[in-house]
Amino acid sequence: MSLNPMHQFQVYKIGPEINLGGLNLSFTNASLFMTVSSVLILALLFFGTKKKLLIPSKIQLITEMSYTFVAKMINDTAGSAAKSFFPFIFTLFMFVLFSNMVGMLPYSFTTTSHIIVTFVLAAIVFVGVTILGFVKHGFKYLELFVPKGVPMVLLPLIVIIEIISYLSRPVSLSVRLFANMMAGHTMLKVFGGFVISLGLLGGWLPLGFSIALTGLEILVAFLQAYVFAILTCIYLNDALNLHH
Amino acid sequence: MKNLKEISTRLEIAKKKIHKNNESTNDAYLGKALKISTEFVAAVVVGTTIGFLLDNWFDTKPLLIICFFFMGVASGILTVFKSAKKMQTK
Repeated sequence: MSLNPMHQFQVYKIGPEINLGGLNLSFTNASLFMTVSSVLILALLFFGTKKKLLIPSKIQLITEMSYTFVAKMINDTAGSAAKSFFPFIFTLFMFVLFSNMVGMLPYSFTTTSHIIVTFVLAAIVFVGVTILGFVKHGFKYLELFVPKGVPMVLLPLIVIIEIISYLSRPVSLSVRLFANMMAGHTMLKVFGGFVISLGLLGGWLPLGFSIALTGLEILVAFLQAYVFAILTCIYLNDALNLHH
Repeated sequence: MKNLKEISTRLEIAKKKIHKNNESTNDAYLGKALKISTEFVAAVVVGTTIGFLLDNWFDTKPLLIICFFFMGVASGILTVFKSAKKMQTK
C-alpha cells in the first residue's frame, strides 16, 4: 500500500468524528497541515518583527524580503490603487507558499494538492474581484465583456466568448496550482517506489532523479505561489482600472 | 558634504544594479509558460461545461455542447492571445 503513489493524497480524520447538522466537520490531516502552515506563517511574522534591528537578523530579513516582494508585485501589476489590498494578497501568497513548502517535507501532507482547497481560494478571489468591480464601476463593469470596435453582427458571439473567458479564470487559477502540486508529488513518489523495487543494484539512478526532482519541486512550489498571487493582482487591476 | 555625494552616487549605482537583476529571470518565463497552458485548457473545460448544463436544461442534447465547445476553444485562444500580448508590452 505504501508503494501506491496516490496513497499520499488520502484524507483521513484525526480524532473524533464531528457531525454538525449533516456536515462532516471532523478534523482531518488536511486541516492539520493547513493549521501547521498558518501557525508557521504567524510564527515567522511574529519573530521576524519582534526585534526591529537596523541591521536585520536572518529571520527579520526573510520577513522584510517577503513583505517587499509582495508589495513590489502589487505595485508593478496593479498600480498604487491596489495598495489597500496588500493584506489580502500577502495572506494568499504566504498561505499557498507555506502549504506547498510544508508539503515538501517527508511524511507531510500537501493541502494544495487537493482541488477543493485551491478552488476555494480561487473562488474567493473571483467572487471578491467581481463584487469589487461592480461596487467600483456599477453596471459599467459589464463593459469588460464588450470589446471596442467589434461589428454589431459579431457582438453576441464575442460577448459569450468573453463571458466564458471570464468564467474560466477561477478554473485555470485553481487547476494550475492543484495539477502542478499533485503531478509533482506523484512523480516523486513513483521514483521513490522505483528506488525500493530496483534495490541496491539498480536503485541509484531513480534515487538521483528523485533528488533532482525534489529541487525542481521546491522551485515549482515557490513559482506556483508567485503565479497565484500575481494573477490575483492582474484580476484586481482589471476590476480597479476598467480600461485595458 | 563630499561624503553625502559619494553615498548618493553609490546609491544610484546600486539601484541600477537592482533594476538590471529584475529583468525577467528564467523562473519568470517558466511561470508564464505554465500560466498560458492552463488558461487554454480551462476555457475549453468551462465552455463545454456550460454547453452541457444548458443542454440538460433545454433538452437539446448534443447541440449546445458542440456549439459551446467551439466557443470555449475560441475563448481559450482569445485568453492566450491576451496574456501573450500583455507579456510583450511589459
